Order: sequence, then structure tokens, then C-alpha cells
Amino acid sequence: MTGGYFEIEKISGGYGSGRVVRDVSISIGRGEVVCLLGRNGVGKSTLAKLACGFLRPLSGAVRLAGHEITGARPSENLAVGLTYCPQERVVFDDLTVAENLSLMRANRRLDDLDRYFQVFPRLSERLRQHAGTLSGGEKKLLSLVRGLAEGSDMIVIDEPTEGVQFENVVRMAELIVARKNAGASFLVVEQNLTLVDRIADRIVIMDHGEVVLSAAASEVDREDILTHLTV
Amino acid sequence: METLLLTQVINVVYEVLILAIIVLGLAVVMGLLNVLNIAHGEFIMIGAYTAYVVQKSGLPYVLAVPAAAGVCGIIGLVVERFLIRPLRYEPFETLLATWGLGLLLRKLVELGFGRGYRSVEIPVVGSLNFFGEAYPTYRLVLMGVSASVLAGLFLWYRRAPTGARIRAMVGNPVLAEAVGIKTRELARNTFVTGTAMAGIAGVMIAPLTPVEPFMGLAFIVNSFFALVVGGMGTVAGLFAGAGIIGGLQSVLSATVNPTTAYLAMLFLSILFLWQRPRGLFPRP
Repeated sequence: MTGGYFEIEKISGGYGSGRVVRDVSISIGRGEVVCLLGRNGVGKSTLAKLACGFLRPLSGAVRLAGHEITGARPSENLAVGLTYCPQERVVFDDLTVAENLSLMRANRRLDDLDRYFQVFPRLSERLRQHAGTLSGGEKKLLSLVRGLAEGSDMIVIDEPTEGVQFENVVRMAELIVARKNAGASFLVVEQNLTLVDRIADRIVIMDHGEVVLSAAASEVDREDILTHLTV
Repeated sequence: METLLLTQVINVVYEVLILAIIVLGLAVVMGLLNVLNIAHGEFIMIGAYTAYVVQKSGLPYVLAVPAAAGVCGIIGLVVERFLIRPLRYEPFETLLATWGLGLLLRKLVELGFGRGYRSVEIPVVGSLNFFGEAYPTYRLVLMGVSASVLAGLFLWYRRAPTGARIRAMVGNPVLAEAVGIKTRELARNTFVTGTAMAGIAGVMIAPLTPVEPFMGLAFIVNSFFALVVGGMGTVAGLFAGAGIIGGLQSVLSATVNPTTAYLAMLFLSILFLWQRPRGLFPRP
């Protein structure tokens, strides 16, 4: 064990027998935010799904707090403190906003979510509406609130800012940093540098299914990132 | 005359409650999982045969309820594992598969019990004086049990988050698993609940109808029409569908004749399928 809280070790895999991700290792410390960048289609989302149990890795291991969770089901992973917010189909469209948040709560109460509603009043205004009627950006806000409210110590979020307006991206960053300061670790797949600049402790860049750069955020030039993202 | 009218009203209420109990299992499986279990009637039939066996063994009739729930639940478990799950709960594939399953179950029962009618004796004999009119006690018991089961289910569905979880799972299985729903188990339990309920319905109606391998066919037709008219996945839809189909059949059978009642039901259902395919109270 190298001491990371969430460890992805030499993971390979993809859909079926395809190998979209090849030998990727990422170790995330307690209270660390790692942003995973890269162009479309280089395997970022696939890696997130492999790490969280939505796809079974062909090889490699995933560990959470020293326990191996490779190949465990997402519902089991959540039980041990691993939250995942997907990139697509991020909320239950047929359920109301309130139901989306209270679904897994025995008492269905949302009292403790007031701090999120203060940040995103849009959501509390629409609690009785079906989540399917929200805009793409609003769905992402709902998804983030759901993920943060699960109270996990390790949170994997795939493209949280897609379609989200600037002010709300800034607010998302504040919520993530606040949770980080409370001890939670994050792996955030992201293209939006507005968010990355505000939350990243470390930046990992992927290309063609492999890690091509991994460094502390302070040591990475914006120029470097942009080169990797645009080439 | 007044008492006769009262009897008629009770009869309608009785028909509606019985139909609601018969529909219940299908409403769970079809309304929540989008699986039209064509073998629903056969599960009712197996429930009725279980009641027959329990009664023939000299055991108290009440024991037939857990026995039928168990038998139909176990069959449902096997069917889910080897038929419904491998077909990934796809509506059309499972429709064809359960149609075949219905054939198989009918033939298996025929093999074991023969083609002939079996009769189950009414476990609660006699009649009660009901506002000056004698009414069979068993029917009253049946109405009471049906009403309690439906009311209990209604309250549970309103309060417990299970209904919303099932909807979440059907709408977005990947996210459902992500938020901690054990989707495989939840789908299985929902399906098995539906088949077990069909078994219980079979026990309840067994004393009122000839028990034979083909008895299920009429039930699946009525149940399906009730769901078409009422709308799927809601308790209001279940009651509305059972009320309209059951009420219509009961009133027209009494005032005109059963064939006209059946035709009217067919006509109404076709009208709904054509003009309002989601029924009166569909799931939003």
C-alpha cells in the first residue's frame, strides 16, 4: 500500500473485451482533489466507471481506505463510502426533485440539505417538479447535491459542469472545496478550467487510455493543459 | 325493492374488490416493472390448486394463503432468474416468454391434476343478515379481506420509499445502482411479490369458481383490461380500472346478460387503447 485513500492501480478495461483504459494508476490522498483531464474519448469516463464498479476491469485493482473493492457493485461501494455522479442521465427524470434527494432516506426528510438549497435556490423552488423538466445544467446541480449529501469520504464526479452557468460553476467549486476541507477526497473528470483552477490539488491528464501527465496543480501551466486538451 | 337494490350495490362492490385483488399482482409486475406477465392468470390458477390441495389434506383453509404465496413466490423466483432477468425485463421479449410460460404451467397442472374441474368448498358457510337481506358470509369475509389488503398496500406504497425506488430503477438502472439501490434484488423481489399476490388471489376466489387448468385465461384478460382503463403504476389507476371494469361487468351481467357485459368491456378497452392508451391515472 502506497498510502493513498483511494487507489486505482494499473487498471485496464472498457466495454466488453475492449481495452479503452490501459494500465492507469491514480492514487488520491485523504482530503485531496484530483482533476482528470483529457480530450473527448480518451477514456476518462470509462476509468471512472471502472473505478466505481459500473464496468469490470480486465486487470488491475481498486482500493478504498486500504480495502480492495475491485469489481464490487456500485451499491456496495456506496455502502463503504464511495459516491459516483455520472456524466449522463444524471437524475431520475420520472421522479420529483424532492424524491431524487429523499429516495434513499428512510424518513424522506430533507432538513439537512438547507445549506445546498441556499446555494442553489433553483432546486428548492422546484422540489415538487419532475426532475425531467429541469434544464441540463440544473440536473447537474441536483446530481452534485445528491452526491455530496450521501456523505461519502470519496466522491467521483464525471463532468459536473456540463451546461452549468458560470456563477453556479463557482458555487459548485466552493461546495467541493468545503467538503474537501472537511476531509473528503475527490476524483473529478472535467474539461472546464474554471472549476479545475478552483478545486484541483493535482491534475492528471489522459490520452489514448493512458496517463500522460500527473502533477501538483501548482506545477502545471495552463498552457500545458491547453496543449493536451486541444491537440 | 330497496333491499334488492342494496344487494345489487353490495354485489357491485364485491365484484370490484375481487377484481382489484385479481389485478393486484399484475399491477405490480406490469405497472412497476413494465413486464406484462401473460402467465398471471396461471399463477392465480396455481394458487387455486394450492387451496384445493390444502383443503383436501384436511388443513384449515387459512393455511392456503401462505402456502399459495409460497408456491407462487418460488415459481416466480425461478421464472425471474431463468426467464425474466436473462431477457433484461424487456417488455416485448418477456411478453412472449410469459405467454409460453402460461402454456407450460397449464400443461404441467393438467399433467398433475387432469383436465377435469375440481371444486373447493366454501370455507365459511352460511349467510349473514345484512340490512334485512341474507348475504353469503364468505363473500363478506372476502370483501373485508380484499379491502384490508388493498388499504394496507395503499398506505405502504404512499409511505414507504419502495415505490419511488422501483420507479427510479426502471427509469434509470445505472443511476439507481449508483445511489445504493440493489437493483437486481429489488427487481426480483418486485416480480416475486407480484406472483405471490396472484397466488393469494387464487386462494380467495377458488371456492367461488370451478378450479381447472384453463381458469387463468379469463383472469388475465380482465386484469389487463382493468389496467388499460385505469392506468399503470398508480394505486388510483388500480382502483379506477377495477371499479370501471368490475362495476360494468357486474351491472350489465345483472341487468342485461353476461355476454353483453363482456362485449361492453371489450369495447371500452379498445376505446381506451385507441384514445387514451395510458389510462385514466397513469404514472406521471
